[in-house]
Amino acid sequence: MNMLSDINFAFRTLVKNPKFTALTVFVMTTGLTLCIYMYSFIQATLMAPLPFDAGDKIRKVDSIYNGMEYNGPSVRIHDFEDLKKRVQSYDVFDAYKEGTVNISTSDRAVRYTGHYVKASFFEISEAKPLLGRLLTDQDREPGAEPVVLIGEAIWKSLFAADQNVLGKKLRVNSIQKTVVGVMPASYRFPDSGQIWLPFTTSRKGIARADGEYVAVYGVLKTGVTDEQANSELKTIMAELEQTYPKLNSNKSAQVRTIQAALMGNDTPAIAFSMELSVGFILLLACINVGNLLLSRAFEKGKEIAIRTALGAPRGRLISQMMWESTLICFISGILAILFAGLWLENTNKNLLSIFPFEPPFWWNVALSESSIIAAVVIICVTALVTGLLPAYKATGGDFNSALRDGTRGAQSKSAGRLSKIIVISEVVLSCALLLLSTGMVYSVDQQNKFDYGAQVEGYLTARIGLPEIEYKSNEKRLQYYQSIRTTLQQEPGVEAVSFTRTLPGQNARFQNISIDGVDYGKKAQYPSSNSVTVAHNYFETMEINLLEGRIFDPRDKLDSPLTAVVTQNFVKKHFKESEVIGKRFKFIGTDKGWYTIIGVVNDVLHGLPMSNNIEKPTAFVSLQQAPLRFMTLTIKASQDPVALRATLARITLSVERDAPAYNIKTLRAFITERNAGMNFVSELFIIFSAASMVLAFSGIYGVMSNTIIQKIQEIGIRRALGADNEDVFKHFIKQGLKQLAIGLVIGVPMGIALVTMMEKASLTQGSMMLYIAVPTFISLVILLAVLYPVHRALKLEPSTALRYE
Amino acid sequence: MSTLIKLSNLKKVFSTDEVETHALSDINLEIKKGEYLSISGPSGCGKSTLLSLLGLLDTCSGGSYILNGHEAADINTKQRAAIRNKEIGFIFQSFNLISELTVAENVELPLTYRKDLTKTQRSELVKLALEKVDMGHRTKHYPSQLSGGQQQRVAVARAISGNPSIILADEPTGNLDSKNAELVMALLDKLHVEGATICMVTHDPRGAKRAERIIEIFDGRIVSDSAVSQVKPEEAVA
Ligand SMILES: Nc1ncnc2c1ncn2[C@@H]1O[C@H](COP(=O)(O)OP(=O)(O)O)[C@@H](O)[C@H]1O
Ligand SMILES: [Mg+2]
Repeated sequence: MNMLSDINFAFRTLVKNPKFTALTVFVMTTGLTLCIYMYSFIQATLMAPLPFDAGDKIRKVDSIYNGMEYNGPSVRIHDFEDLKKRVQSYDVFDAYKEGTVNISTSDRAVRYTGHYVKASFFEISEAKPLLGRLLTDQDREPGAEPVVLIGEAIWKSLFAADQNVLGKKLRVNSIQKTVVGVMPASYRFPDSGQIWLPFTTSRKGIARADGEYVAVYGVLKTGVTDEQANSELKTIMAELEQTYPKLNSNKSAQVRTIQAALMGNDTPAIAFSMELSVGFILLLACINVGNLLLSRAFEKGKEIAIRTALGAPRGRLISQMMWESTLICFISGILAILFAGLWLENTNKNLLSIFPFEPPFWWNVALSESSIIAAVVIICVTALVTGLLPAYKATGGDFNSALRDGTRGAQSKSAGRLSKIIVISEVVLSCALLLLSTGMVYSVDQQNKFDYGAQVEGYLTARIGLPEIEYKSNEKRLQYYQSIRTTLQQEPGVEAVSFTRTLPGQNARFQNISIDGVDYGKKAQYPSSNSVTVAHNYFETMEINLLEGRIFDPRDKLDSPLTAVVTQNFVKKHFKESEVIGKRFKFIGTDKGWYTIIGVVNDVLHGLPMSNNIEKPTAFVSLQQAPLRFMTLTIKASQDPVALRATLARITLSVERDAPAYNIKTLRAFITERNAGMNFVSELFIIFSAASMVLAFSGIYGVMSNTIIQKIQEIGIRRALGADNEDVFKHFIKQGLKQLAIGLVIGVPMGIALVTMMEKASLTQGSMMLYIAVPTFISLVILLAVLYPVHRALKLEPSTALRYE
Repeated sequence: MSTLIKLSNLKKVFSTDEVETHALSDINLEIKKGEYLSISGPSGCGKSTLLSLLGLLDTCSGGSYILNGHEAADINTKQRAAIRNKEIGFIFQSFNLISELTVAENVELPLTYRKDLTKTQRSELVKLALEKVDMGHRTKHYPSQLSGGQQQRVAVARAISGNPSIILADEPTGNLDSKNAELVMALLDKLHVEGATICMVTHDPRGAKRAERIIEIFDGRIVSDSAVSQVKPEEAVA
């Protein structure tokens, strides 16, 4: 009964004050929406489990080389086989390989990413074919019939979804294979596969140095922790390093979940900073709403005191006041779940454009059960925090002194203290949050504007992979590249055509090198460098500047001594003196000999524009001296490069039917896609900054102007006693500055600590500019929040101010 | 004695929304230095408004107010503040102490607005003023820890700490019991003897009797202005 009438009373109070209600609901909804959205997003992506029985025990095993963490196929087959013999921590320990697969039919050829797998691959991922069967370990035996398992997409596009596809032949990498099954499109373990072939890679008869790289996965035995598995890996890898010092120096390995391997190790840091940010925003929202409720409660202070004097139990008063905050949080909670749900749905729809890769199959960005439960918990806690404290404070006062307090125009002392604490915490939270989020936005902006060291506008690029069997000889490969270039160059709109193994912005092979004449000692610690194979005209085509010596020219041929063009970073990192032309180095673990440096060019960024990549040295080697089968074609266009797509596709097919161009896109699009993930994060942080600014500003302004309105009589008194406008301004600025200073003293170091943490994950760059700009901005906000209400109060005649109630 | 205040045809109109309140009309009044004046009249007749105008807490809507030979309308905001600070001491019915400041800090407040006093000079003046009102033993207390009479005595100390030449008291005893009221009135007497000009609004005939001259206001106009000796006997007794 009592409760119902209390709810009814609280509801009437809210309806009677529509402005107050709208403001508090708006603030709460903003905080809750961000919080629920972020929590759900992180739970649905970064923290989502694999949907398999063994999902929580499946791990990826990746190598660490020179301190760099690799993923994908990162373990040499020889290392894998040695590991497999020795590891104890796993129920399953196997490898698969990814490779591009050319499929040719009578009228066309298409490229797909293929997975070469063992039976255990399907077992742990609970694969079920749509038609036919999975691949078995018998298929991998020598002499077995060549078979292939195709995905739904290929089944539909090449076989028109023919139910009788089983047993049909398909020309895969120039070999006829029999289709034994079709996989549903939903099967995407561990990333999007379209075609599966038996894993036949082995170390047998292959020199360790020539060993292929495979992707290694395992299922941990029950009870084995990641730490145990990691220390076992470390021990075995250290033994291998002893045995094979040349190939395995500085090489180790680690286990990670598939999720972490895919998203990279920065993920927890990003997730943490995002959750922290929305947590701060929610806290700001709580403080604001709590403060609004509190100042309302203090306005009613006398009424409460009278009621207490009349014997109303405190519990009853608290519960009456609590219902108000509960209603506000309840309404905001429903709105927030609605908004967050819509926002998540929208994000899910746009995932493809947000991320540079196809979103992993275990992602499902939507309001899940767990996030709704979390939302409800968040809302309840919020209601409690925003309601209980003000109610407790307001009813806890000495009602006797509230009744007899004859002083005029002043808040009670504890109310004054509380509003100071509120302003201080708003300053702390908004300062830390603004430093973190502007730091994030700033560094992503720097990344987007980063000078790659090469021109990136106006190019169309495409991957080309030559079939292995037809293109065994170097001469044939060179012929192919030559004819592609000459044919394409005759097309209108094509200004230049070149080839590179690695585009600007793309991660390059990072290899150990040794410099001629340097003794690296017994237990060698080799330096390392990117190695990028390029066609001779690459530098002119990409507008990379020669600084010293010469670039590749016809003197650098298949049979002439090996040459290299290096970047400034290479010189800085590996040589004390600046005169490097004619110096020699070689790549460790390859059968190639010494490379003579013939030229120095400006730095070119390979990888994302983060500090560790920016500093990496690069050695360019000549395509003429080492013709690879896989290269990226780049066309410098004299018009819109997109217009050349069809030309490019047509001409590559006409030169080699089995080597269709794939991944055709402009270099700008390629770079944008690679930065898309961080841009998405940055956009979220822009929203965080905006939300925190709005909340902090409105909160600080609200508290300050409220304080000053409650002090209008005091202002009147001070003026009656002879304070001029300046004195009054000074008084309030001094008070505001005190709170500001305390807030900044806590908030700035906190923000810098957060930025530094992100910096370690090379996600942000600290910037002195921001460390100055953010506190300055907050100081201005405080100043404005003081000056404006005081200015308005001073417009009243002192006599009016004295009468102000 | 020389003229300190001269009001001619003074008028004050408050306009709120659509209502115009003629709080004061046609006020003509001369106050000499050192005079002890009492103002009385029914509630809402304009006594406080008159005091506010006298104390430069408000500006008139018409007529002229000459203070110490200067037309009040021509005095700028900064100078008005300085005059309030140095020349005028206010005492209010509701004390108007600042609750976050201690007794000593409250008394010191007007002195802090003077640029010509050092910290020690200020605390010297504070001590003196508090001793005059017999509150020297409560300097560290907060207003909420004092009784009404004590609070008003602190307010008096604050008004006189800077040795103002005019004291403006608006029903200073309105919220006090008779014993405390008597104390405060005695203080004003003493200030008058020491040479201060005093304008006091009061309903209390016993208080009014202490003044040398009584002004009566009705509906914004002065209806009588008489020396105390002319007060009707029955009123003086009551
Ligand atoms: N700031 C103001 N705004 C509007 N009306 C006012 C204001 N101050 C005083 N008044 C009106 O002026 C009249 C005189 O008020 P006041 O001088 O306070 O009377 P009292 O003689 O009781 O002190 C009253 O009618 C009052 O309502
Ligand atoms: Mg009055």
